[in-house]
Amino acid sequence: MTIEPEMLMAYADGELDPLNAKRVERAIASDPALAREVERHRALRKRISDSFAPVADEQVPDRLAALLNPNVVDLPAPKTRPILTRWREAAALAACLVLGLMIGIGVSRGPVSAGAGGLYASGSLAAALDDQVGGANGSVKVAVSFRDKQGSYCRVFSSSAADGIACRDASGWALRRTQQGSTTQRGAYAQAGSPDPELMAAAQDMMAGEPLDAKAEEAARGAGWR
Amino acid sequence: MAAFENEMLAVLPRLRRFARALARDAADADDLCQMTVEKALLARASWQPGTRLDSWMYRIMRNAWIDTARARGRASETFVDAEAGAGVGGDGGAEARVALGEVEAAMRRLPDEQREAVALVLVEGLAYKEAAEVLDIPMGTLTSRLVRGRQALMLDLGEAA
Repeated sequence: MTIEPEMLMAYADGELDPLNAKRVERAIASDPALAREVERHRALRKRISDSFAPVADEQVPDRLAALLNPNVVDLPAPKTRPILTRWREAAALAACLVLGLMIGIGVSRGPVSAGAGGLYASGSLAAALDDQVGGANGSVKVAVSFRDKQGSYCRVFSSSAADGIACRDASGWALRRTQQGSTTQRGAYAQAGSPDPELMAAAQDMMAGEPLDAKAEEAARGAGWR
Repeated sequence: MAAFENEMLAVLPRLRRFARALARDAADADDLCQMTVEKALLARASWQPGTRLDSWMYRIMRNAWIDTARARGRASETFVDAEAGAGVGGDGGAEARVALGEVEAAMRRLPDEQREAVALVLVEGLAYKEAAEVLDIPMGTLTSRLVRGRQALMLDLGEAA
């Protein structure tokens, strides 16, 4: 019986099914040359395998690891972001969820509506932004009013649904920033809290000059915030 | 960091070893690795979660290697002589590295189709079936290339009868 070199190799590698393995074993038993050939295959396998094995134990060069994880090594321009940025992103994400819920609940009744130019305040939120005096308490609280660098009037608000910054344009109060509402619901009456420092810092960044004082705010309100 | 990148990172040491078995030298091997990772990141949509990421990446690397080897042309073979590679990795002088140099040089003298079969089965330890899938060839083709590659290595490395 002849044994193909491929079959002998496969036997040496443990790749044969039991039936064929038995055939090879019977052949080996009657032919020492075949047994030596099997040994040579195994010895070569071990030698090749052992030779290259240390490569897999080497430290992967930084330039390779960095392709998959920029934080693994110090890159010339580190991509590690300040913790504050990540908080901002988390807040923005939370706000997206909140907005999604609010829009989903009802476009006409909710505090937010989707317009052609983006998201706008609607309902009670729009009414509060239109009419409410800064600092007055209620379900919506307007903390501060200011003009942004384009000259639009903006107001920082907090409410049970969302906190944020809205700026007045031709279509209404465009929501520039939103995050989850700071207001805690107590019984039936919701009292708006103070906007968080993050939001105030964002307002500071957008602001041209000083926040509006009571008199300037009143004048802006009288002019329809335009 | 996404799970995909994490898994790729875990496969990277083995990919480097495979690259070393295929490429001319350590520097080329890491270039090949880099190319493979970049291609894999671009092609990530074509990887099916639940299938083996290592096999998928071996295949990408092997195809990238074929492409660059072709681009480099057959001319390179003319200066890969018997001495080539004997000094590879000799900077440290460690025995393991010298041994690797000998085996690497012998690997380099194999025809591409035998070298890739030997690299997948003997270096990476893939089963015949897995190796045939990576190379996209029938089992019979794989075993015939593998057996010829091994016989050539035995001769070359002085392990012939």
